[in-house]
Amino acid sequence: MSAVVDLPPTRPASGAQRPGFFRRLFADYGQELVVLAAVVALFIVVTMVNPRFISANNLTTIFSGNAYIAVAAIGMAMVIITGHIDVSVGALIGVLATISGTLAVAGYPIWIAWLAPVLVGMAVNACIGGLVAYARIPSIVVTLGALSIMRGGLISVTGGTWITNLPPSFLIAQKSVLGLPVPLVVMVVLTVLAALWMRYSAFGRSLYAIGGNAEAALATGIPVERRTVAVFVIHGAFAGLATILFATQLQVIQSTVPPNLELTVITAAVIGGVSILGGSGTVIGSTLATILFATIGSALIFVNVSAYWLRAVIGLLILATVLADMLRRRGRI
Amino acid sequence: MSAAPYVSLTGMSKSFVGVKALKDVSFDVRPGEVHALLGENGAGKSTLIKMMSGLYSPDAGTITVDGKDMKFASTRDASAAGIATVYQELLLFPELTVAENVFLGNYPRRPGGWIDWAEVRARTRALLDQLDTFDLDVDAKVLTLSVAQRQRVEITKALSKNARILIMDEPTASLVESDVQRLMAVVRQLRERGVGIVYVSHRMPEIFALADRVTVLRDGGYVATRDIGEVDEAQLVSMMVGRPIDSLFPKADAKIGDTVLEVKNLNHGRHVQDISFSLRRGEILGVAGLVGSGRTELALTLFGMTPATSGEIVLEGRTVAITSPRQARDLGIAYVPEDRGQQGLVKQMAIRKNVSMASIERFSAGIFIKAGAEAQRALDAVKRLSVRCRNIAQPVGELSGGNQQKVVIAKWLETNPKVLILDEPTRGVDVGAKAEIHTIMGELVKQGVAILMISSELPEVLGMSDRVLVISGGRLTGEIDRADATPERVGMAMTAHQSGEAA
Amino acid sequence: MNWKSLLRHETFLALLLVVVLIVLSFQSDRFFTVSNLLNQGRLMTEIGLIAIAMTFVIATGGIDLSVGSILGLTAILTGVFWQNIGMPLPLAAIAAIAVGTLAGFANGAIITRFNVPPLIATLATLALYRGLAEGISQARSVRGYPDWFYVLGQGEVLGVPTQLWILAAAAIIASIILAYTRWGRTVYAIGSNEVASRFSGLSVEKTKLALYTASGFAAAVAGVIFVSRVSTTRSDMGTGIELDAITAVVLGGTSIFGGRGTIAGTMIGLCLIQALKNGLSLAGVKGDGTIMLIGAVLILAILASNLFERSGTR
Repeated sequence: MSAVVDLPPTRPASGAQRPGFFRRLFADYGQELVVLAAVVALFIVVTMVNPRFISANNLTTIFSGNAYIAVAAIGMAMVIITGHIDVSVGALIGVLATISGTLAVAGYPIWIAWLAPVLVGMAVNACIGGLVAYARIPSIVVTLGALSIMRGGLISVTGGTWITNLPPSFLIAQKSVLGLPVPLVVMVVLTVLAALWMRYSAFGRSLYAIGGNAEAALATGIPVERRTVAVFVIHGAFAGLATILFATQLQVIQSTVPPNLELTVITAAVIGGVSILGGSGTVIGSTLATILFATIGSALIFVNVSAYWLRAVIGLLILATVLADMLRRRGRI
Repeated sequence: MSAAPYVSLTGMSKSFVGVKALKDVSFDVRPGEVHALLGENGAGKSTLIKMMSGLYSPDAGTITVDGKDMKFASTRDASAAGIATVYQELLLFPELTVAENVFLGNYPRRPGGWIDWAEVRARTRALLDQLDTFDLDVDAKVLTLSVAQRQRVEITKALSKNARILIMDEPTASLVESDVQRLMAVVRQLRERGVGIVYVSHRMPEIFALADRVTVLRDGGYVATRDIGEVDEAQLVSMMVGRPIDSLFPKADAKIGDTVLEVKNLNHGRHVQDISFSLRRGEILGVAGLVGSGRTELALTLFGMTPATSGEIVLEGRTVAITSPRQARDLGIAYVPEDRGQQGLVKQMAIRKNVSMASIERFSAGIFIKAGAEAQRALDAVKRLSVRCRNIAQPVGELSGGNQQKVVIAKWLETNPKVLILDEPTRGVDVGAKAEIHTIMGELVKQGVAILMISSELPEVLGMSDRVLVISGGRLTGEIDRADATPERVGMAMTAHQSGEAA
Repeated sequence: MNWKSLLRHETFLALLLVVVLIVLSFQSDRFFTVSNLLNQGRLMTEIGLIAIAMTFVIATGGIDLSVGSILGLTAILTGVFWQNIGMPLPLAAIAAIAVGTLAGFANGAIITRFNVPPLIATLATLALYRGLAEGISQARSVRGYPDWFYVLGQGEVLGVPTQLWILAAAAIIASIILAYTRWGRTVYAIGSNEVASRFSGLSVEKTKLALYTASGFAAAVAGVIFVSRVSTTRSDMGTGIELDAITAVVLGGTSIFGGRGTIAGTMIGLCLIQALKNGLSLAGVKGDGTIMLIGAVLILAILASNLFERSGTR
């Protein structure tokens, strides 16, 4: 054994070998860019077929009508990034909408009707998160149970009646700020804030760590249980915010759970690039994916395809995205 | 340079589910020394370092840091006391960047609680530069890095917490030679700066090149601590195994017969390149090579896990194409894998079910399993291989490493293999069971089985094999007969071609 | 040790079922009558068939969310093949079942060939198959099936609802396969340690492909029975049934991570759910309030058996 070993002085310049901006962008946001490209391509093609597609009216419909899904998907993305899943969010939104609407009709101050769903959402998900983190029941089982409880509870309490006579000041989703519809503004603002928070805050980064390798996260000193509860609580807050947009977009609230809403929300998160195995993905992707679904739905109408095919098209698209992602991964390894 | 120890552990004991993992062990580390911790698998090294790093709490014993008694309730406490660990299985987060991994859990903050990312990147850069690691981008995601680079990140992470003591658990186990040299340089540099290093390794040359002192553990007990100048390799080995080395490796004399397996110009990817050899009935063919040299990949290709892209496999005179483990099994090739827990066993399942797993068709009438026959065979196997267990319904996961390994071997013997590939057959196996496994191998070759044995332990390869194949960089770099196989010759061949392979 | 704790979960569940049955029969005279119990059996057949196949799928560590959509697609196709294409009804039903089975096969192919996690793959096909059902039906329902067709869903054989015979046969065959054959052994092995299974020469891919195909087949048969029971086809049939089936399976002690579970457990779970639904509605609890209780029972049962298990190992 020679005592002195010369180190290969590979790159003397400190911080060298930084890949270019676009390379980095594509490496970090590959899936998001694919979804974005799909949205843009769809807009171009459909507008060529039918120019009315790009009218202000239609754009408002596309973005505003689905903003609540995007908002719910932000929280869902965080949950999935942490390595969990929530199949009860659709039922939760149904319950919260009914609570919110009932309070508004009963004459409580409007701000209470808006605040209540957020707080209740956080409380409900604190219970779910607690069962997942401390009782160690898999999140899919807990939320499956929560789904039944909330779905059943909602219908048995309300009997499926509709809430009408909502006070006009309650219907915030139908208002505009600076000429832009409120849901669109809320969706964009929340997405940007959540994305920054996930990328740059210690909390956000720890979620990636937990989802990537929970044991290692524990060994690194991250309080995994507390973070797990916290991420469910935050997800509950987003569900509450989504509820406000959902409950105020029409003059009535149907006191039932929107069918399959939880699957739509999960799908948005996953198509946006969140790995179902946890540890990777962004909230920007989930919002873009929501926009993509909405665009497809609207596009089918504008190219005269029966809306009944919408789900089939979305299903095919999801499948194509997933397969492409798998093939891309296989190519990388 | 015999300063007062920075950390000392006295009378440490620890049991797991009734099994004593560590009995009354004492150990200390001084600033600016490399203290090697030596012992066979299961000797208690990892239990000891896990207590030092706060992962386990001891049942008895005291930890003193800088003269003060301490209790580590978590890894946090240990790292606050200046003790950091670079684990064997690196605890990094592949989706996060280098800089994030280094500071995860204790980011520098700006007022308002936001992370100061510029500071994170700058400090990571500075720490990497201190380690002469100029070629690592602080913004690269860890999943894009090589093993050696990841290890550098782990060390950087330890340094970021101002570690006074750095525990390195088999740091060179999966490094190629050039990276080993670089790592050793880093270790020396840290020692110069006054960091105390606990260095766990099996590799004698490294220990003699680096260590100032060495402590040996055996079967959970303390054996001795010596200055490195006082001991030689043979003494250390006999301290580790607790008896003179000569009695190890009872090589049975078996009659070597006709060629069973002939491999010509086998290729798969980078790790199996142009490999040719033949294997005869009753022969033990040892395969030596560093981790990552392509030893296991060769086995996986023969076993159909990663089918050969070109080349020829001739089994008993017939050219065969092996495309799946199932087919390999049907042809009479068995593979006892390297990763016992993941690849070899279904730990939750009973011994009985594990034993029949690879030959379930033989225990079936139509699609139905003949439970009686299955149980009888399992009983026989347990008796023949002297597997120590409560009964055959016991889940395999509850057995000790050596007994688990015997179950894997039993599983494959049920298929009546002509060729038995053993990948690290005695890794993580205690000394007694190790000898038993070697005896089993001897009996098998007497019955005419041909054995291909892959091992990282040179003494095992030299002691057990009739011939030794040496693999380096995916290529065959030596084929040495038992008579000519010396550690030097095999060692030379193991590192051949390595110089060209930098990370 | 392992199978003992499993047994404990099932014993616990069976006791719970007995308690529930007793309590409910005190609550209402009409609960513990032969006709009511048989009628409940009729109602749980579709979920039961799906849950049996789902037990296998979950025991391998997988999941199949698309079963409800396959059920809907099969139902729609039965009607379309018969009324719009003019096939004889038996042939139409068989053809529809074949398509449903193919849908399951496609799930398996996506999961095994492309290594897509089952949750994602079947989430995608859930949308796809339901979308196909909606697209093909264009929201039109098919009615007016010949009377003999209703034997399957509304008739009786030897005094027992027709479909209950089918469910019982399926349950018996499935539990024999899972407990006594090498296929069953392979299922548990894959669920416990897929890598080791592959290293032991078990045909992991083929097994999984077969299971997802079987899951599609079960959902398809359930679809035809559903049509026969309610006398009509609509594209939203079977929505959410996947969650009901998964609840029954998990309640029955099958580990969501795979490697553990029995058909007996699933059937007890199924009966418990159905008894609760029926008993509570007889006791005057509003229809969907019962679903609530099922959710609570699911969480509590898993919680309880988790605690049992922990106390067993420590």
